[in-house]
Amino acid sequence: MDSRVRDVRITTEEDSMTHLKRRTVIGGLGASALTAPFLTRTAWAQSDEPIKIGVVTSLSGPQEFIGSFVLNGCKIAVNQINAQGGVMGRELVLEVRDDRANPADATAAARELIGLGAHLQIGTISSAVALAMGPLMSQEGGVVITCGAGSEKINHENYNKHVFRPGDGPYMRMRAQAQLMAERQPEVTSWTGIIPDHEYGRTTWAVFVDGLLEFYPDIAGVQPEIIDPIIVPYGAGDYRSFITQAARSSAKGIYNSTYGGDSVTLFQQAKPYRLFEDRILMDSANEFIVAGALGTQTPPHWTGIHWYHETNKGNEMSDQLYADYVEMTGDTTPMGWLAEAHAGIYAYAKAIEKAGSTETDAVISGLKGLVWQTVTGERTMRAEDNQAIKDVELIYIEPKPDTEKGYAVTDYVKVEGTSVIEPPSPGQAVELRSPT
Amino acid sequence: MSITRIKPQHFAGVMALLIVAGFLLPHVANRGIVFLGGVVAINMVFGIAFNIAFQKAGILSFGNAMFFATGAYATGYMITQVPQIPFLLMIALSGLAGALLALITGLLALRRSSGVYFAVITLAVGELIHVLITKMDFLGRNDGMVGVFRPTLDFAVFQIDLSQGDSYYYFIILSCAVLISILWVLWSNRFGRALQTVKSDPMRADFLGTDINRKRLQALVLSGAATALAGALFAPWAQIVTPDLAHWSQSTMPLLFALLGGTAFFFGPVVGAVLFSVLEYNTRTLVGISDLMVGGLLLAVVLAVPGGVLGLLKSVIARKPAKSLVRKEKNP
Repeated sequence: MDSRVRDVRITTEEDSMTHLKRRTVIGGLGASALTAPFLTRTAWAQSDEPIKIGVVTSLSGPQEFIGSFVLNGCKIAVNQINAQGGVMGRELVLEVRDDRANPADATAAARELIGLGAHLQIGTISSAVALAMGPLMSQEGGVVITCGAGSEKINHENYNKHVFRPGDGPYMRMRAQAQLMAERQPEVTSWTGIIPDHEYGRTTWAVFVDGLLEFYPDIAGVQPEIIDPIIVPYGAGDYRSFITQAARSSAKGIYNSTYGGDSVTLFQQAKPYRLFEDRILMDSANEFIVAGALGTQTPPHWTGIHWYHETNKGNEMSDQLYADYVEMTGDTTPMGWLAEAHAGIYAYAKAIEKAGSTETDAVISGLKGLVWQTVTGERTMRAEDNQAIKDVELIYIEPKPDTEKGYAVTDYVKVEGTSVIEPPSPGQAVELRSPT
Repeated sequence: MSITRIKPQHFAGVMALLIVAGFLLPHVANRGIVFLGGVVAINMVFGIAFNIAFQKAGILSFGNAMFFATGAYATGYMITQVPQIPFLLMIALSGLAGALLALITGLLALRRSSGVYFAVITLAVGELIHVLITKMDFLGRNDGMVGVFRPTLDFAVFQIDLSQGDSYYYFIILSCAVLISILWVLWSNRFGRALQTVKSDPMRADFLGTDINRKRLQALVLSGAATALAGALFAPWAQIVTPDLAHWSQSTMPLLFALLGGTAFFFGPVVGAVLFSVLEYNTRTLVGISDLMVGGLLLAVVLAVPGGVLGLLKSVIARKPAKSLVRKEKNP
């Protein structure tokens, strides 16, 4: 009996010790976890305090490769501006949140940052998130600058004065691509597309067709033949049936607007079918994503890019951004989203200086009609629909087995933004040409 | 583990505490926390709706996200396309849509399967719904629906504009309190006890005259309707509805809430939803390892404390008298 009691006592003491420690730890963690969100409420911006810019972008998940460029672009711009004395004597600081490419996470983070005083935000990549930001920012009193969100609705059907796009919109980009083809490849008059089955894909194709129908008759003097595009599922692992469908097509030009990993899979699987060997391939927006993954297996193709440092050599801002990026990361192939974020931060800085205030309405007024210098040259934020007017950049990538990366940019062009941008029509869809 | 019953006065006390905490939140926390507070309240209903079918009727569903998405999309569609419908009717219709989907799923699957087999069928039906949403133009395909505004409640003699200030947040708190109360009544009353017999000993329940299949179907329909109502509340809160809501990973959420809090307890998913959000919130800046940390912690809790946090608390409280006895024996 005694031994049983002793055993029980010992066990109980050990348990209570363990429990005490565990409770203390859990209690401590719990208390700090529960109170942490509230402690920051005192951190309201004062007039002499740093200006907080909220960065809500994808730092994990399928769009992480874009989000990391966005974040680095913001960091470099903030460092450069602070080194020059800040904005109106105030430092810029970044409050960074990961949206994990999830609209619910993005909207929660945006609201939280507004609560922390970071009502000026940047970094939206996803079109769905960008469209959700309009009503949110109107309601909560914030501003957001997107970094690559492609939906045309941002400055048309779903226009909201709180959302700004400092980069090229889909109308500019895809029409510039069509214009370039009419100039460089006038003999390629039959076109089809490999289009992902979502709104971005359908928009890019519709606008590219609009551009073909305008520029081929004007520049090449021929009417292009538009062949129904091949609609492919989003995130599919096997594209071979679609590739054979495209290979049977009589089109001499293929427009691709699949994206990221989907494009890599598709291009890799298309290799045995020689789909791109005797056809011109125009890619919507993959920049170096496909080439970086496929190396020497990369098919020769044109692709849209937000900024290519070689195209802008001689532009001091561009050269400095490239140098700072290489120093920061060691990577020598920055992608264009870096420049979008960089331009966005500079837009905020100039708008705040112009308005003399960081208040939401003042910054919106400052951004509207803003003309500012960027790594791609001067841009104008169109006051009517918050869409920047800027030149569109395109690069031609070819496989080069003798190079370190296995590919090289062998041609690059700039298309004047004013020649391809659509007229402003906030609240209304743009009417596009379609094949008769 | 036996199902823990909860006395009405205890239930009322806990609910009062939750409502007061919910109402105080906007006065002490920032906008992001208030938004998360609304999401947590909705997740409480999401979790309890799952648990009532799982713990009371033994129905394991891996497809509850389809009911949530049904409610969210139904409300999102009505708000953006037919805003003249009164908002409360929209919510009711969304719940009805979830109930209907649950009824169809149950009629197809419940008579033919149970346990893991039923779970696999719900997973498949859930994925079917997810794919269908991404193919439907009127639901916005992969892009979802945006501009789901917060409407006005019109009571003829007065109106409440839910788009102003925190009014929609308070509406969520009150609506969730009502839904949780209804679910508690159904958990505790004769209907709940009948479900319990179906789970505990279906053969005996059958001998006693309980229509087992009917009871299981009723539990699934109840779960589907309540989940859809939670989804209906979510749509104007997030102001965006995307196919992610119907993704299978979303179906794991109520299961996680229930396991974390304790499936045997009515308030288990409530505790789980709160803890999960606190964990997620406090790891949000740990980019890249946030999911790993949350997942690892959840795994640790589930493995170390199979009865959930409330199960652990119960066992700690139950052990206290034994300690005092030991002390008495030690010092006679």
